[in-house]
Amino acid sequence: MRFVRDYLVPRLIQYVLVVFCGVTAVFFIPRFAGQDPVLEMIGQIQAQGASLDPQAVRSLMETLRELYGLKGSLLEQYLTMWRRVFTLDFGPSFFQFPTPVAQLLRIYLPWTVGLFVTSTLLSWILGNIIGGIAGYFSGKAWSKVLDAVIMVIRPIPHYIFGVVLLILFAYLWPLFPAGGLALGRRVVINWNLIVAILRGSFLPALSLVILGGVVWFQQMKLLVQNVKREDFVEYARVGGVKERRIVFRYVLKNAMLPQITQLTLALGQVFSGVLIVEMVFSYPGIGLLLYRGVTRGDYNLVMGITVLSIFTIATSVLLLDLLYPLLDPRIRHR
Amino acid sequence: MRRVLLVVGLLMFFAGVAFAQLPGNVPRNETLIVDQLTGRVGTPSNFNLWAGWRWQDRGLQQLVCEPLWTVDYATGEIICGAASELPQYNEDFTKMTVKLRQGVYWSDGVPFTADDVVYTIDLHVKTPGLLYHGPMAEFVDKVYKTDDYTVVVELKKPNSRFHTHFLDRWGCLRIMPKHIFEKVEDPVTFEFNPPIGCGPYKLLDYDPAGFWTLWERREDWQRTPTGMLYGEPKPKYVLFQAFETEEAKILAMLRHELDMAQFAPEGLRVVLERGETTRAWRKEWPWVVNIDPCITGIVFNNMVEPYNNKDVRWALTLAIDMVDYMATAFDLMAPPSPIHLPPVPAYIEAFFNPMEEWLKNFELDLGNGEKFKPFDPEIPQRIAIAAKERGYPVPEDPKVLRELFGIGWWKYAPDVAEKLLKKHGFTKGADGKWYLPNGNLWKISIVTDTNPAHHHYRNAMAAAEQWRRFGIDATVNATEAFNSLHLMGEFEVGTMWPAAEPWGAGVDLSRTLEPWRSSLVAPIGQAVTLGPGGAARWSDPRLDEVIAKLEATDPFADVETTRLLGIEALKIVVAEMPTIPTYGYCGAVAWDEYYWENYPGAENPYTQPYQHWPNFKYMLPFLKPKK
Repeated sequence: MRFVRDYLVPRLIQYVLVVFCGVTAVFFIPRFAGQDPVLEMIGQIQAQGASLDPQAVRSLMETLRELYGLKGSLLEQYLTMWRRVFTLDFGPSFFQFPTPVAQLLRIYLPWTVGLFVTSTLLSWILGNIIGGIAGYFSGKAWSKVLDAVIMVIRPIPHYIFGVVLLILFAYLWPLFPAGGLALGRRVVINWNLIVAILRGSFLPALSLVILGGVVWFQQMKLLVQNVKREDFVEYARVGGVKERRIVFRYVLKNAMLPQITQLTLALGQVFSGVLIVEMVFSYPGIGLLLYRGVTRGDYNLVMGITVLSIFTIATSVLLLDLLYPLLDPRIRHR
Repeated sequence: MRRVLLVVGLLMFFAGVAFAQLPGNVPRNETLIVDQLTGRVGTPSNFNLWAGWRWQDRGLQQLVCEPLWTVDYATGEIICGAASELPQYNEDFTKMTVKLRQGVYWSDGVPFTADDVVYTIDLHVKTPGLLYHGPMAEFVDKVYKTDDYTVVVELKKPNSRFHTHFLDRWGCLRIMPKHIFEKVEDPVTFEFNPPIGCGPYKLLDYDPAGFWTLWERREDWQRTPTGMLYGEPKPKYVLFQAFETEEAKILAMLRHELDMAQFAPEGLRVVLERGETTRAWRKEWPWVVNIDPCITGIVFNNMVEPYNNKDVRWALTLAIDMVDYMATAFDLMAPPSPIHLPPVPAYIEAFFNPMEEWLKNFELDLGNGEKFKPFDPEIPQRIAIAAKERGYPVPEDPKVLRELFGIGWWKYAPDVAEKLLKKHGFTKGADGKWYLPNGNLWKISIVTDTNPAHHHYRNAMAAAEQWRRFGIDATVNATEAFNSLHLMGEFEVGTMWPAAEPWGAGVDLSRTLEPWRSSLVAPIGQAVTLGPGGAARWSDPRLDEVIAKLEATDPFADVETTRLLGIEALKIVVAEMPTIPTYGYCGAVAWDEYYWENYPGAENPYTQPYQHWPNFKYMLPFLKPKK
């Protein structure tokens, strides 16, 4: 009962507050950004030199305002938005009208989830294992060399790194495609298509695994270097516990806790996607979709993606809070 | 060793299996791959371009749709597509008769007839959700056919430009297939998938994520206007592909995986330097397409002080050194234009050359009886010298220089600008900065697009630099709200189009002048309907008169009157300078001649050069396969 009162209830209240404030902010911020989605659409049509006469434009403005659901006061729109949040119907995308936001999410989200989750898990596993071992054996020459190499890689921006991969593996040694011709297609059981998708996804995944992995590596290495100096490790060593057991059961296990927290939060970022990587490799993901929504003043689309993002991150944090006592006996004890 | 072999084997497998594999496994040597200008399609399954923005440059407007007429700014012609001749009006412009081309079939084998045209217009009159409902409902009284290939539209009120709604220039009311739409419950929500048209190609496949669309040549291409006019389109397949970054596009062209694309000037240079089979529109410097029917420049909000003052606008014009400006904006490659028109071939003959003497003699009143002739015909020569200094191979022939850099621009005359400003109480402080008549520091924030490759952005950077040098605190505000701010009038100076794009052919300037009609000027805070040109929120009763006269003139039957009215209007606009035209839009187009050749370059401009214009279909019969 004390657990419910002192631990569960405050966290549930915090969860509801975070979601409420987040969703409200997402509703108001684009509306105060100076962009009118109807005018942006008209501007886009006219910028291409399309011929529309004033009467046509005037009626188009009216029609779009009606169709986009932008008629009525701000309060009415706000209440409508909450109804949409609860029914998960975010209405049509403005700049991709009449396509519903929900349909766009269905098309793009699996691609991002596929790339992002796979590469995040892979980089997390590799970064932690290699970082852990390098941290434990930090005095060895190979560990120092590895550390130096990673110090060089880490500050490289995703964009530059992606372009370098493209130049190396799509131009100088053309093993992989420069653009995503196979990506985004209806996925059917077809060997050629699967190979093409794997080829198309390889370079974006590689860039994420390497640039993500080096971060996990450095974090884990520092954590392990600290943990291995703890008294209980020294005690185990003096007590004759085998090195392998000390590394995996004593050091890595203890260093893993903050990394698990980080992983959960990192996975929650899936909805904001991996914009730069998607851009560089023409990958059909949710990051680009959100970027387009922001630049075109597409309130509904921005709303749809960010609301899901808010729910996912807030829920992952809540779950983590609830699961942590199971993972960390110190919290359980408190 | 075994592991090494495994890795090498896997890499070879990847390289082999899908090397340049195209969607639908179509053969590369029969496929023309082109860049999609407006990027990834946001509505991939929806081809209903009558009901909204559908990324129609994915091949829809170029390969499927066949409008009644199309403008070609490279040749100066109006091409009759689904129509067999230009429209005919009655004397008071209340009736338009259209003769249709015979023997044309829709891509599903149904004959194209007057019924389709009548149905299209009728449906637009009745359906508010369609893009062209406004003008059709406003003007059309009755539409009917007199035989299977003749349509008559009776108008509620005179309109000598009613045909322009059907004249394709990157958009118009294209004819719908009646047999498809008449079975549809709601023509606005209908996806029109697969699209059916009278153009020479049909849909083969598309990417649900919107990155590409693949089209296949119709077996009965002879039964399309393109086939009848120009013969068989040579590529069997055309693939439109969207690239998210310039780098990916460059790599694709260098790998021969992209045949036609538009780049930023820097990208064009890389492609030309690195590619062995790439070429630009012009084979030599300055490479870029300089006949685009669009003028770039600077827009003043004429409802805001001090930009509501003609002398201030002129002072800011004379504070620009055009040679420096061009060096910053476009590396000296674009043609400056002193008037509010782009220097396309038809306009050079009809407007630029005939106005040259007037421009030379045009005077500004500096006050106290002092006059100043601001036109500088030496600009082309000065640009040529500056380009030579940068190491470019500049032609010597003055005729070619004129072709490249136009007839001149406005003088760099900061002393005259100073007189014009001081006339209205502006002061220049000891700090070298300009102060407004109310004593405040003069600050100009130029609102522009966020894309650094866009001419809007380039103009903004160049203008800010020039005005800073003159002593004004000028900065650039690149914002995503660029369109909204311009249309609502919530800006002072910006770089939206300084004038609406003209037709690019013929002598009718009504399209450019229309946004300055006084009835269309909206107060600040209320959107103007026509942004390009119209964002300036400027009008002039003299111009209203010219527009009214133009309306009463048949642009086909009375060409000379139409042209002279155009000149009269341009003189008014130049004298008032509500916006500053700087240079003609330039497209940094590159073509790869690895699989295809005979593109319409400057040495043989048989048609306009862009893959995103509707006329692209008329280019395809002229291409020649190389492999």
